[in-house]
Amino acid sequence: MKEFWKGAVKLAQTLWYEELQTCVICGDEGDLVCPTCTTDYLHPELGRCRSCGKLLLNEKTNCLDCEAGRGPKHLDQVTAWGHYSGGLRDLIQNVKFEARPRRLKEIARPFTNWAISQLPAVDGVMAVPMHASRLAERGFNQAEVLASAIHWELGLPIIEGVERSEATPPQMLLSRYDRLHNLKGAFIVREPRSIIGRTVWLVDDVTTTGATLEAVAEVLRSSGAKAIYGLCLAAGMEKILVPLGD
Amino acid sequence: MHFFLTLNKDGSVGFSPFQERINQDSKVTSYLCAPLSYATIQAIQEQLQQRDPFGFWDKGFSRKDPKHQILKILKGFGWNASDLTWKENSPSLEFGQDSLEDEDQAHEKDKEVEKAFNRLTMGRQLSMGDLRRLARQLKSQDEDIKKLAQFNVEQGSATWVPAVKPVGNGWQCQRCGEREVEEWPSQYEMAATCRSCESIGPSTSLGVLYRDVRSLLEGPSEVIFQPHWELTEAQRIASEQVFEFIKDPCQETALLWAACGAGKTEVCFPSAAWALKEGKSVLFAAPRQDVINDVAPRLQRDFPDYPLQVLTGTSSVKFQGGGMVLATTHQVLRFWRAFDVIFMDEMDAFPYQGSRALEWGLKHALRQGGKILYLTATPSSEGLKAVKQGKMQLIRLPARHHRTSLPVPMWEKSRHTIAPNGCTGAWVSQIKSLRIQGPVLMFVPKISWIDPWIKCIQRCFPSWCVDGSYSADPERSSKIERLRQGEFDLFVSTTILERGVTLPGIQVVVLEADHPVFDERALVQMAGRVGRTRECPAGSVLFLSARMTPAMRTAVRWIEEQNRLAMELGLIDA
Ligand SMILES: [Zn+2]
Ligand SMILES: [Zn+2]
Ligand SMILES: [Zn+2]
Repeated sequence: MKEFWKGAVKLAQTLWYEELQTCVICGDEGDLVCPTCTTDYLHPELGRCRSCGKLLLNEKTNCLDCEAGRGPKHLDQVTAWGHYSGGLRDLIQNVKFEARPRRLKEIARPFTNWAISQLPAVDGVMAVPMHASRLAERGFNQAEVLASAIHWELGLPIIEGVERSEATPPQMLLSRYDRLHNLKGAFIVREPRSIIGRTVWLVDDVTTTGATLEAVAEVLRSSGAKAIYGLCLAAGMEKILVPLGD
Repeated sequence: MHFFLTLNKDGSVGFSPFQERINQDSKVTSYLCAPLSYATIQAIQEQLQQRDPFGFWDKGFSRKDPKHQILKILKGFGWNASDLTWKENSPSLEFGQDSLEDEDQAHEKDKEVEKAFNRLTMGRQLSMGDLRRLARQLKSQDEDIKKLAQFNVEQGSATWVPAVKPVGNGWQCQRCGEREVEEWPSQYEMAATCRSCESIGPSTSLGVLYRDVRSLLEGPSEVIFQPHWELTEAQRIASEQVFEFIKDPCQETALLWAACGAGKTEVCFPSAAWALKEGKSVLFAAPRQDVINDVAPRLQRDFPDYPLQVLTGTSSVKFQGGGMVLATTHQVLRFWRAFDVIFMDEMDAFPYQGSRALEWGLKHALRQGGKILYLTATPSSEGLKAVKQGKMQLIRLPARHHRTSLPVPMWEKSRHTIAPNGCTGAWVSQIKSLRIQGPVLMFVPKISWIDPWIKCIQRCFPSWCVDGSYSADPERSSKIERLRQGEFDLFVSTTILERGVTLPGIQVVVLEADHPVFDERALVQMAGRVGRTRECPAGSVLFLSARMTPAMRTAVRWIEEQNRLAMELGLIDA
């Protein structure tokens, strides 16, 4: 399976530099990610909440939820490439619901560059696993495709050994409380040997509350992982609180 | 949607989308726990068939283990043995079918849903996404709709088909026929996504199509046909020929070649009425949405009580029953052997890529022994060739209702290249004289010319009201409305206008008529804008260019030919 991707990526890499360069998000001619999409969706100038990856509009290091202790606790840091909105959201939904995993390969390089600039070096990269029945329906796990893209770009080994034990309702449809409790027991470590003492980037496509990353991080931690960093394509943005009174 | 492969008591290889049902099925001895795509199931069945065309399962000749064979095939597709485990089936008989009868009310509702499902899926080819949408429309669960679909498959009134299927060394989308697909490595094997028909939802090798093979209509019925118009002499002749064609069991396709503005659509209405009464289903198809939008109200008016399904664009429309459908290209792909009669309007005016999908769609939407009538003002060379070879019948409609001949384009040779840099050409005075006859519609070959030409004409004729538009112009509809009201002296446009837009007294100029974007069809259509009303039945068409192209020559020849035929048949007054 991984071999397949490698071949496919190689093919895509040789093809795309000869072809006309178009923006991977909006399709306009020019850069790999055009300046408009960079400004509108990636917001490289904004900080990310260290605990949950949310984009922050102020100078703080954590969002209010995480400051109040309502965020993930087993991750050393989380970062997201961009804001889950507009063209970036369309891209991710197109990949997942219209069976276009190849589009993820196109963003491999800028996404990996962002990861290197934000996160410390690690022993390997791991994808948030998907349940077998959903995998059969969709045919691919977008998180795995992203992990293999990073593997290909950086030569980082892929670490496996965690499984998703049951199909849980999609996180998007649940309330914040339910999201955090929906995932109890959802992930199981099959091979603790591949995890003990390791440092990993834990990859997923979208994070909203950080609950999925947290659930995986929890079982990794209990299997002896040394450091766990969450890495996502997109995250939410912290809402600006308008101060009352003066 | 995925399926489980089953080994049955009688030695056959079957499948079911429902694991829990397999557990209750006493015919199944064991099944494969890994969920498979329908494409894979089909490939396994085909390969087993090839290895043993005589069906050794039944006769027990072979000592080969079917499980072993199946695993070998799957490994060939790229599967790992560790992902494939068999489960022995020991159905528990406690859950008999009788237990379902308990709740009467729920049962009643199920019956309603089943009836509606069957009424709305006859003759359809639906993706999983379509079925899910149908489930929402029927206020039912996805699983229940899937069960109804699977039941019909088991009864033989429908089949499952892999949405994208491996064919030879490549793939083919079974919904639109496209062979150039986007391939990607799925978890277990190579997969492919079709981009050509993605506008009506994804089609992939992991997905499945539900193909219902029943006819849209169950038999003859009462149909009220009240035409609100009277056919002209020319239309009456053509209409009779269309009727003969529809009834003739020997002819499959015919071409109705009509003059621009001669009213070719109405010519088909009496035949459509006859077909519906006979229990034959009818499709009006067109590549462009504006054509459908033009025809729909006229059909509705003349068939006052008949349920008309109008499916346009890419928007998801409500599922509806009935034997008469109006649809644009991609919507046709949602039907399977559904129609006895197809009226295909302006197929060759199809301006975008994807006409291959349209052809595939038409072919598969037609029932066995069904008929296609192509309606056009500008036949394709393939169409004319088929007529010449006797493969297709030709029906002509050469005259407009007002019995005046079609305006024949005049060519004004330009010595200089035509560019909007000051109106120095001698033809400026000709535009001026055209304006005396009526408002002028000026066609240009590129969007970038619209603004400079508006300015240029404005400079030459400061008192004129001048504007212009292109197809993606956000203000297009309001401008077209003002044009129709006669508010402009001159209007610059890149495309032939939407169907159904009639401009009284309009005169036409085509700038750089030798430009490659202007083929003979575009030229005939643009010229066809002139003289469409009874009040202003004549007018002028001017082609301006440095050269005379074959396309221009053909366009003029076609128009002259229509006039000659109309004259011969006494359909126009000299
Ligand atoms: Zn862009
Ligand atoms: Zn946070
Ligand atoms: Zn297709």
